[in-house]
Amino acid sequence: ISGQVTDGGGSGLPGVTVLERGTTNGASTDSDGRFSLSVQPGATLVISSIGFETQNVVVGDRTTIPVTLKTSATTLGEAVVVGYGTQSKQDLTGSVVQLGAKEVGNQPVQSFEQSIQGRAAGVFIENSSGKLGQGIRVRVRGVASISGDTQPLYVVDGIPVLADNLSSTSAATNPIADINPNDIESISVLKDAAASAIYGSRASNGVVLVTTKRGKAGATRFTLGFQAGTSRPTNKREFLNGEEYVTLLTEALVNSGRSATANATRLRTYAAGADPLTYDTDWQDEVFQDASFSQYDLGASGGNDKTRFFISGQYSNQKGIIVSNKYERISTRFNVDHQATDKLKIGINAALSRSRNQRLPNDNAFSSPMQTVALAPITPLIDPRTNLLSGALDPATGNPNSTFPFYYNPLLGVDNGSYTTIIYRTLSNVYAQLDILKSLSFRSELGIDVQNQSEDQFLGRVTSRNTGPTNGYGFSARATNARVVVNNFATYRNTFNDLHNLEFTLGTSYESAQLTSNNVTGTQFASDAYKTLANSSLITGGSSSRTNNTLVSYFGRANYALAGKYLLGLSARYDGSSRFGTNNRYGFFPAASLGWLATEESFLSDNKVLSLLKPRISIGRTGNQGFPNFASRALFAGTSGYVGIPGQRPQSLASPDLTWESTTQADAGIEFGFLQDRISGEVDVYEKRTTDLALFAPVAATSGFTSLFRNVGSMRNRGVEFTLTTRNLVGAFTWTTNFNASRNVNRVTDLDGPPILGSFLSRAQEGQPLGVFVGPEYAGVDPANGDALYYLNSTNSDGSINRSTTNDINEATLVPVGDPNPKWTGGLTNTFSFKGFDLTATLVGVFGNKVFDGGAQYYSVGFNNGPDNQTRDQLQRWQKQGDITNVPRAEYLGGNGIGLSSRFVRDGSYGRLRTIVLGYNLPAAIAQKVYLQSLRVFVQGLNLVTFTKYKGWDPEVSTDYLTGSASQSQNNINQGIDFYTAPQPKTFTIGVNIGL
Amino acid sequence: CLLTGTFTACNSKLDVEPTDSIDASTALTTSADVEAALIGCYAGIQNAEAYGGYIQLMSDLLADNGDISFVGTFIPPNQIVRKQILRDNGFVEAIWVNAYNVINRTNTVLSNLDKLDTPAKQARVEGEAKFIRSLLYFDLVRLYARAWNDGNPTTNPGVPLVLTPTTVITAESQVSRNTVAQVYEQVLTDLTTAEARLITANPTNNNGFFANRYAVAALLSRVYLQQGRFAESAAAATRVISSGRYTLVPEYADEFSSPNDLLANSTEDIFAVQVSSQSGVNELNTFYSVNRRGDVNINEQLINLFEPGDERLDLFLIDPTGGDPTYSGKYDVLYGNIKLFRLAEMYLNRAESNFRAGTTTGARPLDDINIIRSRAGLNPLTTLSIEDILKERRLELALEGFRLGDLKRNQESTVDLSSTPVVLPYNSPRLIFPIPLREINANPNLVQNEGY
Repeated sequence: ISGQVTDGGGSGLPGVTVLERGTTNGASTDSDGRFSLSVQPGATLVISSIGFETQNVVVGDRTTIPVTLKTSATTLGEAVVVGYGTQSKQDLTGSVVQLGAKEVGNQPVQSFEQSIQGRAAGVFIENSSGKLGQGIRVRVRGVASISGDTQPLYVVDGIPVLADNLSSTSAATNPIADINPNDIESISVLKDAAASAIYGSRASNGVVLVTTKRGKAGATRFTLGFQAGTSRPTNKREFLNGEEYVTLLTEALVNSGRSATANATRLRTYAAGADPLTYDTDWQDEVFQDASFSQYDLGASGGNDKTRFFISGQYSNQKGIIVSNKYERISTRFNVDHQATDKLKIGINAALSRSRNQRLPNDNAFSSPMQTVALAPITPLIDPRTNLLSGALDPATGNPNSTFPFYYNPLLGVDNGSYTTIIYRTLSNVYAQLDILKSLSFRSELGIDVQNQSEDQFLGRVTSRNTGPTNGYGFSARATNARVVVNNFATYRNTFNDLHNLEFTLGTSYESAQLTSNNVTGTQFASDAYKTLANSSLITGGSSSRTNNTLVSYFGRANYALAGKYLLGLSARYDGSSRFGTNNRYGFFPAASLGWLATEESFLSDNKVLSLLKPRISIGRTGNQGFPNFASRALFAGTSGYVGIPGQRPQSLASPDLTWESTTQADAGIEFGFLQDRISGEVDVYEKRTTDLALFAPVAATSGFTSLFRNVGSMRNRGVEFTLTTRNLVGAFTWTTNFNASRNVNRVTDLDGPPILGSFLSRAQEGQPLGVFVGPEYAGVDPANGDALYYLNSTNSDGSINRSTTNDINEATLVPVGDPNPKWTGGLTNTFSFKGFDLTATLVGVFGNKVFDGGAQYYSVGFNNGPDNQTRDQLQRWQKQGDITNVPRAEYLGGNGIGLSSRFVRDGSYGRLRTIVLGYNLPAAIAQKVYLQSLRVFVQGLNLVTFTKYKGWDPEVSTDYLTGSASQSQNNINQGIDFYTAPQPKTFTIGVNIGL
Repeated sequence: CLLTGTFTACNSKLDVEPTDSIDASTALTTSADVEAALIGCYAGIQNAEAYGGYIQLMSDLLADNGDISFVGTFIPPNQIVRKQILRDNGFVEAIWVNAYNVINRTNTVLSNLDKLDTPAKQARVEGEAKFIRSLLYFDLVRLYARAWNDGNPTTNPGVPLVLTPTTVITAESQVSRNTVAQVYEQVLTDLTTAEARLITANPTNNNGFFANRYAVAALLSRVYLQQGRFAESAAAATRVISSGRYTLVPEYADEFSSPNDLLANSTEDIFAVQVSSQSGVNELNTFYSVNRRGDVNINEQLINLFEPGDERLDLFLIDPTGGDPTYSGKYDVLYGNIKLFRLAEMYLNRAESNFRAGTTTGARPLDDINIIRSRAGLNPLTTLSIEDILKERRLELALEGFRLGDLKRNQESTVDLSSTPVVLPYNSPRLIFPIPLREINANPNLVQNEGY
């Protein structure tokens, strides 16, 4: 039989999948939408394409079949990528969100997670800062681990990929950014256990399945994309100007009992020896920049009925909003599918990329450009005595290193230093699929993922105040992270009596990974012109390391549909990992789910209002093994030599019973559609209980160890998710609204021990959400003397809480003072189209979370911690008896109110116009006149507007140095901390996409 | 393995051995293994959190009454110099955690002495490990507990004494605080043993990297002096001085400005933490040196104590115009060894002990003090008072971590220099570190110090 598939307008649709139902026999339409296929008598064709409603066509005795596909109202007919296969959305009994290329591609971001912020219910995505290529937090239904990995498992074209942070600094980089977002056809996020348990011991944090674009039979099509624009910070913070600085600092110095002469001398010193009001430097302006963005995409795809290909290349070049920050990527992809024989299909998916990131120091480094805000506004940018950047040379000695300005000037490192990370990433796999029978196929996949990373740093001698007087400082690190994955699985699909639909998947998987790395540090360079360690006269450090792990797995899934309406899903995985104690090497992760397509029932099928009603429930168990490789072992390390004499020391205690963290998740959901799916949506409620937390549990340090890695404690996430899509207007002018909202409540239910302290006030504490801020509760200012006050919050003998105040912060009981986890997150996307125009705007919202302003103890304390420039709110300080204010008395180095407390806990809720895109598509008829298939021009904005009460730079924040450290516990506990963290960029681009 | 092999074959794929570390069960097999574990103890006290600088600097900051100013914005030292320490002070925690980590290393060594292949090695390793353990316990009890002479040391809580290596965490790991007296007693017992062992071992490790019998005697002298046991202190100091092994470096400044990366000790150093470009860190350089952070300014109050012509003043970088702050040049060498026991201290310990006890063990106090003065280019004294001795000590050992211990044993006071200065007597609870918050949380058997 043959035929043509067309859209509503009569144009041929290329790339449509035409499948003989119940078999794997199928074809794809060519560029005109034509197909041909040999089928069994009495066959039914299933014709599907993303964005269109799937149609079942009974062949009967026809040989030519014309099909017109209707644009999909909902995603119901869509094929959804699931673990080791695909399923139609209507047969799904698990909770899965799928996003398409439209949502993922073409944004001025480095990594695809950034482009789907606010697009999927239950998937919370947070950029740690506005630095480029940095680590990103992705939380699927909350955090289910304290000491383990909390990011989802990423699987690209069936192969789990490396996502380890290899950064040598404590600021994480994001290996997922090696994937070109424009190569992505679809992303499936597996949220509940029914969907994810087939990934077993790595599924507790959800699974993100990425499918890349494939070629379609037909004439070779070329696509060309170009986009360029500019970024600036979403927000700046208000600091004192020169005059305000002099006024307030003088007051603080006087209050500290310092003499007028000494104070005058101090101010002149800050002002490079001039009158203190000579200069008024806005240091913030010196580190922010307007940053350019450009991206070029070139793709080609095509093929015939035997062989299809997709190739792509991209070059993108983005500057950061902080001076010297730059990210550049070249990526290529080559996907081929070849039908070798009737029964054998083989293919390759290969991607090669190179990214080059000119990175910044971590937020906590004196050399971090954002820390220039600490410098006095009365300090000149250029020292008039030397005509060089302030701090470049000591005017007295002519040598580098001086006590001016009062801190190391980070701009010295910007001009005289570099930190470049280059990553070569090879992500490739080959497959062979043998259709043994009509209903039985066997697929074998072999994947290799290699990440080669180099980091090279050089700091010139002018940075010596920061690095030491070493005549230049060089650092060079190399790391190779490689993983080999072998998947073998068989799929059986059959329908019996047109009633029983059965599908089985059964397979095995083996993975082996090795991370090797080395680094060298050296000093003493003949001049700053020499920047590589070959020219270092003194090698001061060097190291190499190697670590391995393996995973052996067996998995299976069974789906059963009765009469197309009663759905049953079962899946399980049996995982063995080298990471775990010899006593507990294997874990079993089963899941079961039920669904009911109620609208298929006769009593509802005639219903005009309700077009879809599908309740479903699931329960299952998943695991987490995202821990260090040898955490179960009692180890010694030879890392404690003493001036060249070899030494060793105990490193860790044994934990032979160590095993998976186990999460049991129950989910109940309902999918619905009204008025022929003009209104459709999903509601899910879930509860995830994580037990046997693999915890770096604190132990008394008097033992010589601070923690023991063992399975204790439990945690709970429960929540609700809503997704609603409404097609408000259809016809020539269309308006579609997509809304999602999620509420997740996290509780650390048991730690079997003390709270685990994070940085600042962050804690893992029983009965509280992970990362809760626990500390003294600030009670404002004593009107009598300007002292900071704290609530005692002690328990009276009658059980009541003592709310009297004290100025001794050590007397205050430590109480929960804020939760960094959002109460609600969500997104609202409106899409309008008229003629060739389209407009899409996505608002994201994050509500109810608190941010700890970690830098406030330096810059919002009225000089009580030294001369750092202060935020303007400090002008509200207490000055005289009777003043009612929340800002304590200013006293130079007086320590008044600087103790960590709820004083620095802020509301971090925000709403943000995350993306807005206005596009125009040239009508096909006109385009073809100029020999184009299509032409689209667009303008796009990212983070254009932010609504928040947060007074810092940006409420979307998690300082890098506390979230990319070697301690995963610390990274997980330290959420929502701002520490001189760069705000998100506000980016504006224009672009064009051409089809040839 | 999955395509072709059996389940067992796959299972064996899971047996992955670490390559960066080794299993504890094989780590201490040979004599050399135990000796390497001893070296690990030295590496532990070389850390910033121990004698890489924190213990000395924090002691001096806590005791300070205006000799110096901490002008950096690093919060933990700021709390300490203000004597307003919070329970979660990061340095207070780090010093504790590191000290007990190293104590566990010493305990590991001491419980494996039988693996050493000669009696001489056994004696030497035992002596050195006990020296390191004692040094840490002595500083822990001085930082985290009331002073020996403050109330009753036999009832005042000291710090927990842990004397066996940890291989497993049990309920017994939640130790309680021993008394101050018990800690001192353990220190003295260990040091007495150590001195005897190191005499037996007759070590020829003359490169000065490691503790020898004289380092032990020097520490004994210091501990006895802290307790006011003057005869024993003077006797121990005499054992060092009269050995003839050590001589004062002719110029005071040279003791502190030997060039970069010169391992081994000066003629004056009895025991120093070795720092090289590849090993250890001199955090006193980081904080004191004008070439680095310059976080510690030296005030006129200290400068004015020196007599004109005192060559020790040469180590201070004083701006003649008075515009810039004064810095100490004592730690300007980036990879400079950190001196923990200098011969000069022995003269000072002996002079003070003899003077207070009215004895002349080894020498007359006046002669000992004049040795120190003469090296500093000062005229000899003809008469001597206890004030003279204490002043000489304060100037000679300034910024080397002695102030807190001296202040407490001499029952001096210090001042909280906030806008309304408060005089704090030697026994003020504010001059004692809190037990770290993480430790109080992890071990309910620990009693917190007063005021925290």
